[in-house]
Amino acid sequence: MEKGKTAKAPSSMHIFLKRVSQGPAPWLAPLVIVLVALFILPTLEVIRYSFTDASLLRQNYNYTLKSFRVIFTTPATYDILWNSLVFVFFSVVFQTLLGLIIALAVDKGERIRLHGSVFVRVVALLSWAIPGAIIGVVWSFMYTEAGTGILITILKNMGFENVSFLTNPDHAMPCTIVANVWRGTAQSMILTYAGLKTIPIDIIEASQIDGANAFQRLWRVILPSIFSVISTNIILNTINTFNTFDMIFSLTGGGPGRATEVLALTSYSTIFTGYNLGRGSAYAVVLLVINSLMAIGYFAVLRRRERN
Amino acid sequence: MKLTSSKSGRLAMEKIGLLVLFFVIIVFFLFPVLWVLSMSFKTVPELFYVPPKLFPEHFSFDNYVQVLWMADIITFLKNSFLIVGGTIVGCILLIVPAAYGLSRFRFKGKNTLQFGILIFQMISPLIIAIPLYRYFSRLHLLNNYWSLTLVYIALSLPFACWSLKGYMDTIPYSIDEAGRIDGCSRMTILLKLLIPLIVPGMISVVILIFVRSWAQFIIPFILLNDSRMFPISVGLVNLQSTGDTITTHLLAAGCILGILPTVLIFIFLQRFIVSALTAGAVKE
Repeated sequence: MEKGKTAKAPSSMHIFLKRVSQGPAPWLAPLVIVLVALFILPTLEVIRYSFTDASLLRQNYNYTLKSFRVIFTTPATYDILWNSLVFVFFSVVFQTLLGLIIALAVDKGERIRLHGSVFVRVVALLSWAIPGAIIGVVWSFMYTEAGTGILITILKNMGFENVSFLTNPDHAMPCTIVANVWRGTAQSMILTYAGLKTIPIDIIEASQIDGANAFQRLWRVILPSIFSVISTNIILNTINTFNTFDMIFSLTGGGPGRATEVLALTSYSTIFTGYNLGRGSAYAVVLLVINSLMAIGYFAVLRRRERN
Repeated sequence: MKLTSSKSGRLAMEKIGLLVLFFVIIVFFLFPVLWVLSMSFKTVPELFYVPPKLFPEHFSFDNYVQVLWMADIITFLKNSFLIVGGTIVGCILLIVPAAYGLSRFRFKGKNTLQFGILIFQMISPLIIAIPLYRYFSRLHLLNNYWSLTLVYIALSLPFACWSLKGYMDTIPYSIDEAGRIDGCSRMTILLKLLIPLIVPGMISVVILIFVRSWAQFIIPFILLNDSRMFPISVGLVNLQSTGDTITTHLLAAGCILGILPTVLIFIFLQRFIVSALTAGAVKE
């Protein structure tokens, strides 16, 4: 087909090529090729694997729906989904709230020229620059349960005896969430802080003159003004938290038992320690579907903002 | 008179309240890092004190010397710098033309393409690592920095391209037009006129790529199994899992060294980071 066309009208092909070369295509092609090769194709491959009984240990495989049947009939899957939900929900709630509180405090401090405001801003953002895997190691030191541990010693001095952190299945998840809030608040804080800076100062002053108290100002003026920033922030936070692997891996490895195992960890261990590529990919597809739903939510928010 | 005094009284109360809040924030965010810093200076017997001492008795840099020369930490750090450096170079080569294409052309499907690029940022790197592991093992590309760096580049492209494109959008189109009137080709306009103007944007993007690639864990964790090739994040987790209490102080020192490069960059180049992080999320 192509050849016949060229032979008939070489000049039109020439014109076509010329037009392409003057358009955006040559500028974008390298990027698009890399993204297709390293994102789109692998993503399609994972979906394909999920419909097979492939194993890392052999080359042959058959197409089957068994992986999905197994994961949706295994009770452990629902524990893991529940863990992911709990981990994401509480992390995001506290990251958003803490980010808002710190942003408001730093903003207020800067306006009344309080010493230390800038320092607080730097400290609160510091965790953003620390790799997640190292954050897990740092917090595993904090949660050391031997007498040499620091948190346990502090709690003992406050009168709490026999405290347990990561070894106790009931405490492991809250402890992991605390570490994750420590990690994720920076992102939340910086977005909220930047949002606060866009509120015109006269709006706040006007509400002050109208006699609004601090709480009314926050609820009626400040929060509505930064609503779109906060909603973007919540969605981005949710996506990041949901994809967390590094910090949990180095902090608890998903344990004790499955107490802190989230979806990404299950997918990883099913494939790389259980060698079950098909089933692990099915878990990855569940992860992918949830990621996509969140992405859709994100774009809906973006579009609404664009319209406003 | 009365009004001003009550007002200044309220201001003082506010200040005290804020300072208390500041104190709590600083303790929460700084204490874990300071604790690991303190551990990293302790000697082995000091680490076994019950209850632990808040500060090391005498600052010993022995752990750091030991970490640098005996444990593989220095190798891990070198590896990280190598991978991250390659990622930055490769990424810039790809995103400068792409940002130009997205910023300076109008074409059908542009919006779709832009959002398509952004979607990749929301996909867990684990998902692409699974098939890549299989491909690379078949092509004998596991434990290979070229293929590994290419994956790092792909993971950095979406946000890097978005931020640079956003920055290029702020450069007025009249610059391009002036160049065109002088008879410059698009390439010359980009290289001679636009690139000098987007340098601050490029610095922000490079810092973002650096920090995020430095932190990358799951990709090298899956695509490398030769421990001498590990970047710092994987190397430390490996040390953590193989080590016992004897290596605690080394692990602590390793953590501090692994944190140091990005934290220093963060502290000294903050203003670039804050603007890049908030670009796109906050519209003015």
